[in-house]
Amino acid sequence: MTLSLQLEELKPASSEASAIRSTMEKFKIQTEKLNAWFANNHVLKDLSINVKENEVTAIIGPSGCGKSTFIRCLNRMHELVPGARSSGAVLLDNTNVYARGTDPVTVRRKVGMVFQKPNPFPTMSVYDNVAAGLKLNGVRDHQKLDRAVKRSLELAFLWDEVKTDLDKSGVSLSGGQQQRLCIARALAVEPEVILMDEPCSALDPIATAKIEELIASLKSQYTVVIVTHNMQQAARVSDSTAFLYLGKLIEYGGTTQLFENPKEELTERYLTGKFG
Amino acid sequence: MARLMDIGLEKLRNMVLDMAKLSEDTVSTSIDAYVKGKDLRDRVYGWSEELRILQDEVSELAIELIARYQPVATDLRFIKSCMEVAYGFSRFGRYAHDISDVEGIFGDLSMCDKTAIVQAGDQAKNMIRVSIKAFTERNIQMAGRLKTMDDVVDSAYLDFVKKSAKNPGGDLRCTVSATLILRYLERIADHATYVGETVLYIVSGERAARK
Repeated sequence: MTLSLQLEELKPASSEASAIRSTMEKFKIQTEKLNAWFANNHVLKDLSINVKENEVTAIIGPSGCGKSTFIRCLNRMHELVPGARSSGAVLLDNTNVYARGTDPVTVRRKVGMVFQKPNPFPTMSVYDNVAAGLKLNGVRDHQKLDRAVKRSLELAFLWDEVKTDLDKSGVSLSGGQQQRLCIARALAVEPEVILMDEPCSALDPIATAKIEELIASLKSQYTVVIVTHNMQQAARVSDSTAFLYLGKLIEYGGTTQLFENPKEELTERYLTGKFG
Repeated sequence: MARLMDIGLEKLRNMVLDMAKLSEDTVSTSIDAYVKGKDLRDRVYGWSEELRILQDEVSELAIELIARYQPVATDLRFIKSCMEVAYGFSRFGRYAHDISDVEGIFGDLSMCDKTAIVQAGDQAKNMIRVSIKAFTERNIQMAGRLKTMDDVVDSAYLDFVKKSAKNPGGDLRCTVSATLILRYLERIADHATYVGETVLYIVSGERAARK
């Protein structure tokens, strides 16, 4: 089903349709001259990227290029690291998330995050893992919680596998299921953007395929930004790809164009493994 | 440091160059055989079959490289182009086979004026050589010349057809056989042009506009 939908999307649009679509494209996140430091280490240098709404944007680049730091700046998690700071702007729906008076917790609710290793709360059941964020936000109505847990697990393609085991510990699930549980947990608080930092690096190919299918389905409702070392994964799941190197944005464009015909020599060399 | 994929890419390149040499020989032999009235159908047929098999082998290796290494950028464009070029070379073989069949269909054609075919044949053979050289050297300028060269073969075919339609009085066997061969040469020239277009694609990622 998902594959057929994707193939449908791949049909070339008429130039008129493309023109109309391009004028309707909306940017969910825009960074303007974003810089980030860990103490004196300048890790992001003047990054300006427009992330389109309801698309999957992949961030690729060699280790240490600033991929994870970049997405952690998008929901103000970077500032949680002692000695870390940033400058520039991150606009979420045209509002700077770093503006004075903006509550970082509110930003993080709107911009959820999934990490490299699945990290369900170890003492909580499957149900409570998903409901945790809502409960923290003061939701006490059981029916409302039940509905939100079911909806989130369904969105994360996990409901059918755990619906009879909601009371089991979250960590009793397989690695792939735990990662989908974490995605369900992120979805439960109804974010608008989901950041994923190497979400499949600890998973086997079957679990990876499920997460990738999930990513493809999520973009109809959410904007997804994914950091990945796996270039084939970036090519499979993303609509746009940004290549970072030494903290700078080298190239950013449509995934097909970037992988088939990169404009920058550095991108070409990285993609083809001719680096260094 | 050499990449594992480079071994496969080199092998693919060599297979395509083997096809290039064989396809050039096949077309030359078929044209020369027709002009000189020799029956070399079996040899040309054998070579064209060899080209068809080689094309399959190029496709198999290309698919294997894609499956094993998931190539991107220039690597991906080169592999894709090798498949297209190999198809072009197998078509050269097929048209050469068709040319060599003409005498078998029409019998002795020694009384026919073959000037148009000699000229168009020289141009087509030259185009094959240029297309192979441009592909080997990834030379866009050289590849770009092929479009102009193609126009010469197109004109030779169309002029002959128009002339024959205007003056239908000649030997029908000569007219029909020459028309067929000029048509095959025109197609060979088209495929040589397509080979040239892949050079542009490999080097720049751009697709040449076609008429």
